[in-house]
Amino acid sequence: MSTLELYTPTDLNDALRFLEHDGGNSAVIASGTDLLPRMRRRQISPSILVDISAFTEDLRFIRRSDGTIRLGALTTVTDLLESPMFYGRLSMVREAARLFGAPQVRNVATVGGNVCSAASSEDLIPVLMALDAKLKLASARGERTVPLKDFIIGKRQTTMKPSEILVEVSFNEPEGNSWTAYEKLGRRNMLILAMVNEALILSLEDDLQTIHSARLALNRVSGKIPALAVETSDFLEGKRVTDQTIVQAQKVMESELSLTSDFRGSGEYRTEVAQVYLRRLVERCARHIGGSS
Amino acid sequence: MSAVPATLEDLPEMAKCAVTINVNGTEHPMQVDAPDRLIDVLRDQLSLKSVKEGCSTGDCGICAVLVDGKLVNSCLMLAAQCDGRRVTTLEGLLEDPVMKRMQGSFIANNAAQCGFCTPAMLMASWDLARHSPEPSSEEIKVAISGILCRCTGYYQIIDSVRQGCEKGGR
Amino acid sequence: MSEQVSQLLDSLRAKAERGELLYIGENVVRVDSLEKVLGSPVYTADLIPKGTVYAKLFHSSIPHGIIKRMDLGAARSHPGVLGVLTAKDIPGLNESSAVLPDRQLFSDPVVRSTGDILGAVIAETSPSATDAAARITVDYEELPAIFDPIKALEVGAVKVHEKGNIARQMKVRKGNVEEGFSRSDIVLEKTYRTQFQDAAPLEPEVGLAIPEDGGVRVIGSMQSPHHTQAAVAKVVKLPPEKVRVIQAVTGGAFGPKSDETPFDVCSTAALAAIKFRRPVYCGMDREDSMVMHTKRHPFVISHKTGVSKDGMLLADESRIVGDTGAYASLGVFVIVRATFHTVGAYEVPNVKADSYLVYTNNTYTGSLRGFGGPQAIFAIESQMEELARRLGMDPLEFRLRNMLVPGKKNATSAVMDASCGLPQCVEKVVNSSNYREKAQRYRNQTGNARRGLGIALLMHGNSLGPEGNDYGAVHVEVLSDGSVSVGSGLTEYGTGAISGMMQVASSVLGVPLSRFKLERPDTSKHRESGPTVASRVVVIGGNASKLAAEKLRSKIIPLAAEMLKIPPEHVAMADGVAFDRRTPSSTVQWDDIVAEAYRRGVSLREDGFFMAPAAPWDQEVGQGTPYVQYTWGALIVEVEVDMGTGCYRVVGAHTAYDVGKAVNPGGVLGQIYGGTVQGLGYAMMEELLHKDGVVVNPNLGDYYIPTSMDIPEEFKVFIVEVPGPLGPFGAKIIAEPPIVLPGAAVRNAVLNATGVSVDDLPVTPEKVLMGMKPEAAARSR
Repeated sequence: MSTLELYTPTDLNDALRFLEHDGGNSAVIASGTDLLPRMRRRQISPSILVDISAFTEDLRFIRRSDGTIRLGALTTVTDLLESPMFYGRLSMVREAARLFGAPQVRNVATVGGNVCSAASSEDLIPVLMALDAKLKLASARGERTVPLKDFIIGKRQTTMKPSEILVEVSFNEPEGNSWTAYEKLGRRNMLILAMVNEALILSLEDDLQTIHSARLALNRVSGKIPALAVETSDFLEGKRVTDQTIVQAQKVMESELSLTSDFRGSGEYRTEVAQVYLRRLVERCARHIGGSS
Repeated sequence: MSAVPATLEDLPEMAKCAVTINVNGTEHPMQVDAPDRLIDVLRDQLSLKSVKEGCSTGDCGICAVLVDGKLVNSCLMLAAQCDGRRVTTLEGLLEDPVMKRMQGSFIANNAAQCGFCTPAMLMASWDLARHSPEPSSEEIKVAISGILCRCTGYYQIIDSVRQGCEKGGR
Repeated sequence: MSEQVSQLLDSLRAKAERGELLYIGENVVRVDSLEKVLGSPVYTADLIPKGTVYAKLFHSSIPHGIIKRMDLGAARSHPGVLGVLTAKDIPGLNESSAVLPDRQLFSDPVVRSTGDILGAVIAETSPSATDAAARITVDYEELPAIFDPIKALEVGAVKVHEKGNIARQMKVRKGNVEEGFSRSDIVLEKTYRTQFQDAAPLEPEVGLAIPEDGGVRVIGSMQSPHHTQAAVAKVVKLPPEKVRVIQAVTGGAFGPKSDETPFDVCSTAALAAIKFRRPVYCGMDREDSMVMHTKRHPFVISHKTGVSKDGMLLADESRIVGDTGAYASLGVFVIVRATFHTVGAYEVPNVKADSYLVYTNNTYTGSLRGFGGPQAIFAIESQMEELARRLGMDPLEFRLRNMLVPGKKNATSAVMDASCGLPQCVEKVVNSSNYREKAQRYRNQTGNARRGLGIALLMHGNSLGPEGNDYGAVHVEVLSDGSVSVGSGLTEYGTGAISGMMQVASSVLGVPLSRFKLERPDTSKHRESGPTVASRVVVIGGNASKLAAEKLRSKIIPLAAEMLKIPPEHVAMADGVAFDRRTPSSTVQWDDIVAEAYRRGVSLREDGFFMAPAAPWDQEVGQGTPYVQYTWGALIVEVEVDMGTGCYRVVGAHTAYDVGKAVNPGGVLGQIYGGTVQGLGYAMMEELLHKDGVVVNPNLGDYYIPTSMDIPEEFKVFIVEVPGPLGPFGAKIIAEPPIVLPGAAVRNAVLNATGVSVDDLPVTPEKVLMGMKPEAAARSR
């Protein structure tokens, strides 16, 4: 780290202009809670850090309009936890924020940082994926929007270009016969990187028995990549919420998941728990939907 | 900040960053290197030794200080990112009546054994006391959940915080 | 006389009735509390003077091999670097060992673990030392390595040291186990395993050396300043009196700082300080510490136990294997304690134990709170639970039938006397936990959340016992300002024991602890008192402190008598006031007595020296009285298990310890809370892992110690006081014992909730769930 330099842009446009030319050697830094430990372990060695942490006026917000929730990329996890927005149907966002890291980490870790790290250790990614979040990426040449599900293409790999900055994450507010739920498996209760993070949004038909749609996302589906469990989600669509459906969905999930083992736990155990969580998430959502009709 | 450079070549020597950080109520203009962490500046340049380093990876919380009123791990914040910010350490609160009450409670309840986590625990407790005059045990546990203690098992710290809050907790 | 004065004197008189017990049993504020809540700069890293340079240790990257070539060029020429020290730069002995001389400071040429230190980079700043160290390359001739201590015992196994892989062996032979087995109705053979635990004190190991007076002054975070002095002197080739070692306020220790790691950082700092004539700070960061310092020994313990059908233990045969990693360090004593505690708190008429301290190429293990106790008790308490199940007996009843009570004999055939408070401890926890009613209720559970209770009982031999002469030297000096200065080679590192030791003196003198000052242990000022380990401060140091205070008191009282104009036998002292205990109409203040003493040239400095009685035992058969007294304890844990995931939480913990006499109850509680939580970490979530000899998780993000969210929801603690023969006022040790029981208590609670026997620590949710798996598959998930 001895030849590291830090550039503090005056505003977002300044940052984008800089990255247009020197994005290749640079890393964008907001809180640094993911970046700095990785640099210390020499896993990555950018020459220049581009500090965007001061752009809170532009990039730190939680807004709701026309059925869409928009989160500025510098929204902190504490902001999510303290916001009145994430109760009821969106309570899984609050639940993920509550179990995230620890107070000091939540106070600085950002939604943008979580998403761009694209790591299976980032608690918010499965939640945002289940919500079918869209990402607004800005560069000196303009903006583009990509769905989160297409954004992460490998372990800590995204389709983001070095000249781009993530500025906003948005998703539609679930309505009607919908609910969300989240589970996290860790080796202790706080300050813990999850072995399994699982998020579900479930919508039922008006008969409150048949599944209209299900989006299930996990921190790891294949290898160490956060993704939607597409087969399991597709299987649930159109089925009735019964014990038999859940058992069958668990079997689909068992063959869909390809989880590796590491020192925290085996792939076999993670797969087992992911299936148990599936039942709990479906049942919890169904119960709430039934109750809220 | 001076005129906006277009490319890296245009940039002046960037290695040193000029920042002004308000620490414990005093403005401190200083030159920092890019890799300097807030903890390095606080301990080495400003001799604020209450801020301890226990793990260097943001996992133990004993470097916790308040930045713009929020508890953060100072080992994971770059000093260069603190321009214009307000930092508070334990040294800056030694005359504060809420902190004094908290410190008295820590002493009376044997909450400091080896003392290495004590400054961070006090910062988290003071922060809680400001927002919550009568916190429950659960709220206290959450407030200190990001600070590791190996000596006390947390119980006497929790009792101390409860009694150190204005209304003695519930 | 006024009402107020009269009341004051009455209260003093009442206090004086307590005599030397005046402040004993009170929650007196510790002498060192204030500096901690003020965040004062008293730890080693806070004391670094301007102009200090930094030493960064670098270590082996392979577990076993011979160094062929070290390329230091890039490091030496890195900006800011003054030099790189390796074995050839050591003027004295290249040695850094606690007991057996099997370990070098800088390994050369053989490396035996990835924790082997090869040298240190000395640079103007810490980052430049770190960067330079990363540029060092080493060519090794790699040798085959061995990581399994059982395999290391086999003939033909890879040899870690020339003389073979057994660092120490021990035996216990009591009675005749074959005869016992022949009479047994049930014989159970099982093997239990424990893991590497990291002590994880929040302050890692650090040392600061400043050249002075033709020698060096060393300040550091440590438990044994005199041992450190001897180690450093050998390395730098100076007479010990030229090496002054001072213990700075220490941020937690738990054992490794009594072992070889402080020698490493202090010797390195001293070497560099002398060579470069600059102050040198050698600090381990967390990763360095977790790779290079000593861990808790993993043990493999096999028990073969015979019982009669009415639940009496008849025989136990155990094989105990401890993995000491590449070097023995204090493991030579850990194996002894583990062996003597092989059948725990129970009477077994026939005991055979064979134990082995075994070298492997893992990073090395040594002193850690409990010192073999947690491993031994995990094994025997798990075995007791398994036996109860096979007998169809309630686990508590089975334990009650066999537990040690006054008159019974333990594994070394020592007879327990009236100071055995185990039954009282058991009663307290059984009642508090509502054990009997709940055990019944939890026998038939359905549903996803199931509860279970687990019990473990403790016998813990006090003090150094078989590890060496157990003595303490403390001086107590009254200064001319009336303050009382206490100095000793014993160290404070969080337990509050030093304050407790001083509280004893305070009580004898009748002067409040607030007038006392703790001198920083300093080899140039204080006598050697042995290592501060084995929880010996209150018992050994407390006795020495008491003796010194009594000598002082015998000088103070006659003076006070003169000043009060009464015979000495009527003088009473309390709260710093001397008065006539018959009619307290006049008083004289402590400060006035002190001033008078100084005027007359009376010396107010006394030394107290206390040596524990000999603890004789027969090395051949492990029989005798290796410990002079015992601490007793009991723990009942209630868990609730999520049957779908194996995750569980401790909903209740109920524990009692017979501490003989609680000198400072708040301090005792602090040790019980803290030690139990550290033991719960050991039981539930802590494991330092090696893969092919490389530490996998040397940081606090991947090595899990309990947070405030992981502690039991309900935790009831009971202090039992059955005075023992050794400590002041009957005190027994308490600092280590609370870490011993949670391993087995949690394991047994989980067994009772789920039917799953987890025989290797930690009891992780994965082991619990996968243990249930055949049922899990059948059950609707």
